Order: sequence, then structure tokens, then C-alpha cells
Amino acid sequence: MSDLEAPKRPSVFERKDIKQTVYFWVVFTAIIGYAAAELQARSMGVSASETMSTTIHMMRVFTWVAAPIAGLVAAMAMTTLISKIHFGDTPPEEADHQIRNATKLSATWLIVSSVLCLFAVVWGTVVLQKDNAALLNPQAMNVNVTGQQWAWNFDYIDNGTVRSQDLYLPVNKPVVFHITSKDVIHGFWIVQMGIKVDANPGYTTETSATPNKIGIYDLRCAELCGLYHAFMQTKVHVVSQADYDAWIKSQGGQA
Amino acid sequence: MTTMMDRPAATPGHSAPKKALIERLNIFTAFALGIIGAIVFYYVAKAILPANTDGSYIKSNNDQYVIFSMIGWFIGFMTGIGALIGPFRWLLGKDLNHDENMFYAGKDQGVKRYFRYTTDHKVVGIQYLVLTMIIFFVGGVLAMLIRTNLGHAGGGWLQPQTYNAIVGTHGIIMIVGTIIMITGPFGNFIMPIMIGARDMAFPRLNALSLWLIIAAVPCILSSFFLGGISTGWVAYNPLASQAPAGMDGYIMFICIFALSTMVAGANITTTVIKMRAKGMTWNRTPIFIYGVVASVALALPAFPVFFLSQVMSGMDRAAGSTFYNTMGGGSGWLYENLFWIMGHPEVYVILIPGVAALMEMAPVFTRRPLFSFNLAIMGIAGISGLSILVWAHHMYTTGWAPLLNGPFMLTTELISIPTGLLFLVLIGTLWRGRLWMTMPTASIYALLWNFMIGGITGIYLSDVPVDGALHGSMYVTAHFHYTLMGAGLTGALASLVYWFPKMTGRMFDKTLSWIGFWFVQIGFNIAFISMFFVGLAGQPRRVEAYAAMFSRGNMITTGGAYLIMAGMLVLLYGVISSWTGGVKAPMNPWFAKTLEWSVPNPVPLENFDVLPVVTSDAYGYGKAQS
Repeated sequence: MSDLEAPKRPSVFERKDIKQTVYFWVVFTAIIGYAAAELQARSMGVSASETMSTTIHMMRVFTWVAAPIAGLVAAMAMTTLISKIHFGDTPPEEADHQIRNATKLSATWLIVSSVLCLFAVVWGTVVLQKDNAALLNPQAMNVNVTGQQWAWNFDYIDNGTVRSQDLYLPVNKPVVFHITSKDVIHGFWIVQMGIKVDANPGYTTETSATPNKIGIYDLRCAELCGLYHAFMQTKVHVVSQADYDAWIKSQGGQA
Repeated sequence: MTTMMDRPAATPGHSAPKKALIERLNIFTAFALGIIGAIVFYYVAKAILPANTDGSYIKSNNDQYVIFSMIGWFIGFMTGIGALIGPFRWLLGKDLNHDENMFYAGKDQGVKRYFRYTTDHKVVGIQYLVLTMIIFFVGGVLAMLIRTNLGHAGGGWLQPQTYNAIVGTHGIIMIVGTIIMITGPFGNFIMPIMIGARDMAFPRLNALSLWLIIAAVPCILSSFFLGGISTGWVAYNPLASQAPAGMDGYIMFICIFALSTMVAGANITTTVIKMRAKGMTWNRTPIFIYGVVASVALALPAFPVFFLSQVMSGMDRAAGSTFYNTMGGGSGWLYENLFWIMGHPEVYVILIPGVAALMEMAPVFTRRPLFSFNLAIMGIAGISGLSILVWAHHMYTTGWAPLLNGPFMLTTELISIPTGLLFLVLIGTLWRGRLWMTMPTASIYALLWNFMIGGITGIYLSDVPVDGALHGSMYVTAHFHYTLMGAGLTGALASLVYWFPKMTGRMFDKTLSWIGFWFVQIGFNIAFISMFFVGLAGQPRRVEAYAAMFSRGNMITTGGAYLIMAGMLVLLYGVISSWTGGVKAPMNPWFAKTLEWSVPNPVPLENFDVLPVVTSDAYGYGKAQS
């Protein structure tokens, strides 16, 4: 019988090292899960779209799903570490038992990791489908984005011939971006909306978002594009529909 | 050497001066002929190549001159080191005789053999070790320049062009360093002894693979004088076609290095398949061997693609082709695909031997058998197999084929299953073992910690919607440093300490190994955990200046980087001092059961007087079977 099976039978569970491991497992899972999930989610900052909120939520859930695995490995490592350490130039006396295999444990491990993997794939695919479907939304407004070394230009094609270097968007209105580049590859990235797609010379790529919070956000280039890549950033102004219409008119377009 | 002179001339005529030629060639003649070759090719190219016409896509003749000069350097260097003597002699029907082969193997040459085209796998292993350390030194200096520049917001003291060049060179040189850091020194020195062989299957190819890298390194270093590699290590087109002539250095470097990797891959794979000792069935072959073979075998499909991608890049720059130029019907996405078809297997080329080396050490330092040897092999095989099907997860956000994002997400996340098996094997081996606490033992712990973080952050990144937020940010940089450095380099440093006694005949200074270990691991975690957070908050990669909100995180990362530097310098000092004046090592200082510990120090020229016969696996620790 293996020493590594899950603590089902009382005889195994009563063993000191198993108890210790279970205790560590619970504690480590809680610490790792909470620290990793919360610290990561919080440092992602403000969310200005549902896409970003979903992303933050996914990070949290993935972390909590992964935490018991990380916690188990850490707990087993810790139990070993605090029990029998030997320093010196010659090896310790060899243990009087051998474990070469633990079929049930290995099978459990395989099945659990496969299920977790499947969960991640299925959920990811569902969200991905939603993001893809948003590109086809007929209600969405369209903005053409052109990257060039080292600036962004935005054309509001639904509103006449308005062009700007800062991006203006009305709140709660779906928008589809059609992105291209004049020279090299740039990365169109609205940080707080969690969307990103490359601007490729000669091709048009698309992404979409629905900004859901009024405010000023960051748009950065995410693909090294030469000398002033670090400075190829601009602001995204998410404003109310009325403010947006006023801004469009002030730029000479029709709202 | 005297044996060569005293040997009675078996063949009359012109064979005598040729023998003398072998003796005269070394690293100095190689550099001399290389430089002459570069100069000659430069002037020839200048004389015969037509000047540019306005209609072509070529911007200037410079790229042609630089590429031709480097080809000249390459041919001159390889001739000067003596790589061509063997093939030429064979072509003339006068293949090398036994004495000449023994000379090639470095018999009775002392230190000089390390500066020659020596075929003995142990010499090649030591040469690789020193070369790896030099590469890491250069890459490390560049890393410290990057981190110093990023110490405070708003750009530092480096010019943007210089900064970009440093980032690109740091990236590619470290990638090359990490690719060879285990399969080079330990795969060459230790692996043949471990399987009970007298040398590699193709000793001359072994020397060739090493000297190809040495010929390649000056190409990448010369790029600093040619405007630098201002494109990041990926050298995406069309940015690469804009880049100055330093880019040609990158292209030649990759082409020569890819040749080296292919040669080494074929050699090591053949050696392991054909030359294991009698009785060493696949079930008795140590796990480290599996790791090395998986690594170099993965390089076999990957690196020809890399080679090709760079040939095409060079043709776009110097010959007017338009593979990657949209204006001429090409596509930058083509380059990205070719690059990552190499690029993703390549990260496992780096990672697998590091993990396998620690799996090899785990039984030794826990005095227990390796837990579930079969699962370990399944894990390695599963990762290797899947790794050639996942490349486009680097391209989720490029806009290339959005329909394929789902399938690539599937293959990528599947890799977590075999990777999990590696964790199970390591933790199962540790569990209830009697830990013999040494620097390699602590490295197993460090690997579990670092690789756990690197692995789980990889799962976030493999998820397409999450990647939409994180791709191209510092989060990715931190993630792959956790896998390649936190896991891979940790394995390599442990290997250094573990196999140092066999390779040099002396023990690695224990205190220095511990000091180095703690500085590197603590510094590493400080540096890269804070990098995750600036990435999450939105700092892009490869920027030389950033918004004030990222200041604190970057300052912490820079502080951590200095700790890593301190640790690496301690280890470097440890290598030098232990090698020159360390305690003489016993034959088997770790009381391990693999074959390399059954040969005396220093290891004799052909390793074994009598080839060993293997009757069990190398993990029979412990007293009773359960």
C-alpha cells in the first residue's frame, strides 16, 4: 500500500506526517489563494469595461482553482523539510522503505489536473466566443485606428471625417476598432478595458469593447516598434453620450 | 605531440605537412583566419556587388557587405580551427589514422587541448561550461544595464536606441546561453559517462557544434558596433528590416547557432540511442538522459525553422526579396509563425534538462528511489510532443487567424497535465525522504517554488481573454523569467555544483554555493514578483521609460536584480576558487549510483577501461521493497 494516498482511511489519517501535511495544505491553500488572487486582482486597477471585469474575475477564479495544487505541493515539501534534515559531507542513513509507484495517487493526480485543465479550456472558450460575437454587433459604432511610429490616429467613420490623437468614446456604447499600421507592427492596447490587438501594416485587425465607466484611461503600444516605443501612448476619454456628441460637433463631424 | 613527430611516415609524400597542420591550428589561428576572411570577403563584395537601384527593396549596400563579411569570418574561422581537415582528408581518400585521431581527442596535450578542435567529449564539456559562463556574464551585464536604466521613471541615462539594442542582445544571448547551459557542459561531459560510453557517437561533430557557437558569438557582439539589435530578441519584421546593420549580426548569429544546435541534436540523440552500456535498457536509463535527449530532439524540428526564418530575413534585407514585406506581397505574420514554431519548443529545450537534472539529483539527496520513473518519462514526452503544437499562443493578439485562438488555447492548456506530472515526480521523491541538505537539494525546493509560479502564471496567459489584458506587458517578462531562469537556471546551477567534482576533480566550495544560492533565489523572487505587479498594472515590455505609477515596482525589481548579480558573482568566484584550489574530490562524493561516479578523477581519456554492464536502474536507494 502506498503512503501517498489521499487521507481517506483513519489509519493513514492518524499518522503524524499526514496530519501535518493536511494542516499545511489548508493553511498554504488559504494563504496562496488569497494573496495571489487579491494582490493580482487589485493591481489590475480600475476596470472600464465588461471584458476587463471578466478578465479580473477569471484571474481570481484560476488562482483559487490552482491554489490547492500549489498548496499541496508546498505542504508535502514543507512536511519533508521540517522532519528529517541531514547536514554533512556524507549521506544520511537510508530510509527503510521505498516507494516507487503509487498508482492510485498518480491516477488521481492525472484526473484532477485533466479536469482542471478542461475547466480552464471550456470557460476560456465560452468567454472567447462572447468576445468574438461582439465584433459582429450591428449596433456598435466603428472607429478606425492607425498606428504609426510613434503615434495613434483615430478616425470616427460613423461621424464624418473626424480624426483625433486622443481616443473619445461614449459610455455604454459598444465600439468596434478596425486597426492597421502605416509602418511596423504596433500593439493597440487599452489597459483598463483589457483589450489588445496588433496593428499590422497592410492588414486590418479588429477588436471591440463596451466602455462602462466614465473616466480617462490609458492606451499604450504593446509591441516594440522602434526608438520611441515607450512614448507611444495616449489617453482614452470615456464620456457621456451628450458630451461625446458635443465633442464630435466641435471637431466638425455630425453626431 | 612528440608522438606525432616520431611516428614513422606510413604514407609518403604530402601527408607529412598535413599532420603538422593539425598541430598548428588552434583558437588563435581561427581568429586570425576569421578576421582575414571577413576583410577579404568585405572587399570582394564591395568590388563585385552592383550599387543599388531605386526600384529595388534594398535600402543600402551595407547589409550585403556586412553579411558577406560575416560569411567570410565564418568560413575563415572554421578553416582556421581545423574543422575542415577531417572532411578534406576523407574526400582525398586519406582519412585520419589512429594517431591523428588520438591527437584530435586531445591525448597528452595538457591545457592546450582546450584551445583546439578537440573531439574528446570531456574537453568539449569543459569548453561548453566556460563558454556558457562567458555568455551569461555578457548577458548578465546587459541585464544589469537594463535594470539600472529602469531604476527610476521617465527614462534613465541610456539613449532609446542603445536601450533597445541592449534589451534585444540581452534577450537573444541569454536564450542561447540557457539553451546550451545544461546540454552543453553536462550533456557533453557527463552524459556519455552516465550511459557507459567511451565518447559521443560522432566526436568530430561534437567539436563542430561547440566551435560553431564560438564562431557565432562575435557576430552578435559585433552588432553593438553596427547599430545594435533594436528589435527585441524576437526581431519581428518589418521592424527588423528597418533596423541598422546590427540586425545582420543577429541573422548570422542565429544561422550559425542553429547549425550548431542541429549538429549537437543529431549527435546526442544518436549517442543515447546507440551507445548505452550493455544492460542499460530504456527502463534503466537515468532520467537526466531522457531530459537531455528530449531537449536536443526538440531542437531538431525547431531550429531548422529558425534558420530558415533568418535566411529569409537576411534575403529581405540584402537581396531584395519580400517574404515579410507587405508592400511586396509578404507578411509579417509569416515571420511571427516561423519564429514561434521555433520559439515555443525552444523554451522546453531550455526547461526540460533543468528539471530532469534535478530529478536525477532528487533520489541522491533524499536517499530514496525516484518516484514513478514512468510518469517522469510520460511527463517529459508529453511536454515535448505538445510543445510543437502550441506556437501560436504567442500570437493570440496579433490578429492572425483569430479562429485558431481556441484550438491553440486547448493545446497550450493541455501542457499543464504533463507538467503536473513532473511536479508529482519531484514531490513524490521528496516525500518522507531523508533530506541530505546541500545546495542541489535546496535547488529542488527552489525549482518547485519558482516553477509553480511560472507554471500557474502560464495558465493565465494561455487563456485568450486574459492574454488580451496581459500580452506584451511586464507580466509576460516575469512569467518567462520564472520558467527559464527560476526553473531552468536553478537546475543548471545545481548541476554545476553536483557535477563539479567529476568535471574538475575538486569539490565546489560549500559555503560559497550556499551564499550564491540564497542571493540568487531571494534576489530573483524579489525582482520578478514585483515585475508581475507592474505588468498587471499595465507596464508594457521593452520600454525604456514608464509612467510614475510603476516607479516603486521597478525600483524593487532593480534592487532584486542587484542581489542576483551579487549571487552570480559569488558563484563565479566559487567556480574559479574551487577549480584552482578547492578540496580534492573523492570518486563519488554524493554516494550516487549512476555510472559517471564509477570512474576515477580525473576521468581517463576513454572513460572506461572495461565497458560497464548495467543490471539495475540507478535509483536503488532504501532498504526494503514495498
